[in-house]
Amino acid sequence: MSDFLQNTLDGLAAGASYALLALGFTLIFGVLRRANLSYGPAIMFGAYAAAWTSLNFHVGLGVLFAVMLATTVLAGAYVERLAFAPHRAGSAVAAMVASFALWMQFEEVATLVLPRHLYAFPALYEGGPLPLGALTVRVEALVMIGVAIAICGAVWWLLYRTRFGAAVRAVIDNPIAAGLSGISVPAVSIRIFALASAIGAVAGFLIVTTQEQVTPMLGMWSTLKGLLAMMLGGLGSLPGAVIGGLALGLIEAHSQWYLGPQLRDFLAYFLLFVLLAVRAPWMNTRSAS
Amino acid sequence: MDEYAIGVLTNIGLISFLGLSAYVLLISGELSFGQQAFFGIGAYAAGIATAMFAWPLPLAIAIAMAGGATAAALVAWPTLRLRGLYFAMATLAAAEMFRIAFELLHWQVELGGERVGPDGTQGFRGIRWIFERGVEPLGFLALVWLLLLAFVLGIWWMERSRLGATLRAVGADPELARSLGVDVERLKLAIVAASGALAALGGALFAHHNTYIEPRNFDLMLGVHSLAYPLIGGLGTVLGPLLGAALDIGVLEGSRFLQGYRMIVFGGLVALLLIFRPRGLLDENLVHRLKK
Amino acid sequence: MLEIRDLVTAYGKIEALKGVSLDIARGSITCLLGPNGAGKTTLMMTIAGVLKPRRGTVKFQGEAIGGRTPDVIVARGIALVPENRLVFPSMTVLENLLAGGYQRRDDLSADIERLFGRFPRLKERSSQLAGTLSGGEQQMLAVARALMSRPKLLLMDEPSLGLAPLVVEEIFRTVAELHRDGTTIFLVEQNAHMALKVADHFYLMEQGRVSFSGNPGSLAEDEVIRRAYLGA
Repeated sequence: MSDFLQNTLDGLAAGASYALLALGFTLIFGVLRRANLSYGPAIMFGAYAAAWTSLNFHVGLGVLFAVMLATTVLAGAYVERLAFAPHRAGSAVAAMVASFALWMQFEEVATLVLPRHLYAFPALYEGGPLPLGALTVRVEALVMIGVAIAICGAVWWLLYRTRFGAAVRAVIDNPIAAGLSGISVPAVSIRIFALASAIGAVAGFLIVTTQEQVTPMLGMWSTLKGLLAMMLGGLGSLPGAVIGGLALGLIEAHSQWYLGPQLRDFLAYFLLFVLLAVRAPWMNTRSAS
Repeated sequence: MDEYAIGVLTNIGLISFLGLSAYVLLISGELSFGQQAFFGIGAYAAGIATAMFAWPLPLAIAIAMAGGATAAALVAWPTLRLRGLYFAMATLAAAEMFRIAFELLHWQVELGGERVGPDGTQGFRGIRWIFERGVEPLGFLALVWLLLLAFVLGIWWMERSRLGATLRAVGADPELARSLGVDVERLKLAIVAASGALAALGGALFAHHNTYIEPRNFDLMLGVHSLAYPLIGGLGTVLGPLLGAALDIGVLEGSRFLQGYRMIVFGGLVALLLIFRPRGLLDENLVHRLKK
Repeated sequence: MLEIRDLVTAYGKIEALKGVSLDIARGSITCLLGPNGAGKTTLMMTIAGVLKPRRGTVKFQGEAIGGRTPDVIVARGIALVPENRLVFPSMTVLENLLAGGYQRRDDLSADIERLFGRFPRLKERSSQLAGTLSGGEQQMLAVARALMSRPKLLLMDEPSLGLAPLVVEEIFRTVAELHRDGTTIFLVEQNAHMALKVADHFYLMEQGRVSFSGNPGSLAEDEVIRRAYLGA
């Protein structure tokens, strides 16, 4: 029983990071109607900038976070300008493939600057896990869950309690009607992209300080996890993204316990495939592609 | 021709199969993030056939293509009614499942005192069929390009036929095609299977050229490339994906100066090109005008 | 007030507007008639900024607005009630109205009260999701939403399409009131009878071009209607 609880706890922590990644993907998908396949790579790029800073300067975590945040948001802006803005009235496939192409750029620049396969990254918390009865609770996990809750709350407040948020919801609901109501869809897109990048940077920072390392695979990894979580929760739904992320974390934690790491990943993909194939009702597969 | 040039040309040919497989899907309106898996299935199947069972290469290629077609059909059959990004995500999920399956595949036989066969994440080495038979690099190059051109011709001929027009119609407006009596699902299934076979053929040849394959070769990044080639080379003609592959490997890898920056240059090229020509260099408009 | 010269809008190779020229005088009600496929909706969408013209000019109060984005068009004082209503389905009626007044910085409650007065059915449903309204109610909502921006020029694309006769009357009564209060109106209308009753001026569009321009009395009503419905 305590194994089950322990796995649940670990799963929630991982799920919290997936929820944030999925949230970022979904914000961009909701507003632009396209998947940004450079989302993870921009986060990886930011992580590399922070790692480079950490290797060359003695600075605290706060500065490293600022570096990562700024770099990721700038990288996101680069992607928005080059891969999404030019195709706003055009082909979604062109936009997505263009975002793929920029992924190649991020990965190569990162590995040219820091060529090794793995770099150490300062830890979020130097101490050990805290015992809680029969369970062990890692402080990093608590921080991850807490930050995720805070960010979800902030995003909710932004969308439902501000004028900008109303404009965002309008664009998500019907972009043409939004334009006719006097809302600038390009302006909303740019700002949402920046917000999504920022959320990704937070998630990524917590991930690399928890794992205490940075690898070039971070880009691929966070893209796959984010996409998976977003799809599981129903493409285009913001609450779905959060639920999908938590669900993915829980499924992974429990299946890893019984099946090992590779089958754990296999199971997640299999689940998504099956849900898509049967067109599970919350997945919105019947509405526009 | 020096060895380096032969190598570059061979690589262009090999990767063109992958580009072609994405091309036939794109013109029929499907976006796939999973072609890399069929490439991998072809590679593993052909490698196993020749390295572990000493079967001849032509048979190995046939098995690879059958495997690729079957796998693709298996993926497509339950997901045919999904549109756009949903179908693409289903192919991505399937491709990752295949890649994990490669990571879990441990199957080796004793041959001549050595263990030969796929060894999970350690990869599959010793696919030396063509080298053991003394096939020269130039000869292999000729084989790759003969096969490639045969299929290019086949696709070109198909595109000029009624089937080709139907495919493009389905790609442009599936509802309209359906209302005109086209069995859209059956056609898509056939096209996906064909694309799987094409990718697998490339994979089979790739395995024998490289002699070593590992699961990491067949990740999403390869799938990204497979989509990029037809999209920058042009969706208007079957030569489009070849042009895209030639641009990536030929110009960038062939020019030693740019070699270390290949992905930066290629990535930037793709993104910029798509702004001005969202359907590639040799897009339908250009091809139409050239024909006149 | 609105001056359009040789406007060409195309979808790929197909030109939906083949060179449209017309003028809308300030304070008038102008009606655009024509058969289906003539390009009337394309013209409205182009003026509103949803579509970009390939050639030609659109001038509003002397300023060239052709090709600008829809939010800029709204800022200049033009609002479109589109064909197919285009409401925000997962937002409430009230939120839809607030969205219509997005660019305004002042208090919107007086306008909302007035609109609720004109369309009491919307008031009843003010916290209902717009996607659950009937067709007629959505149309009322679309009109009300466009009015929230207090436009100088109101474009309406087939406002009576698919609506019950009583609702149609209510809409045209609103149009007449707005006209009295100084709003310029340019509407597309299949219901040529009703339109010709309120309009000062009309244009007839066929196959991407303006083929006739005149006052309601200048052409025998029957011939116009025949041409509008049958295009011949």
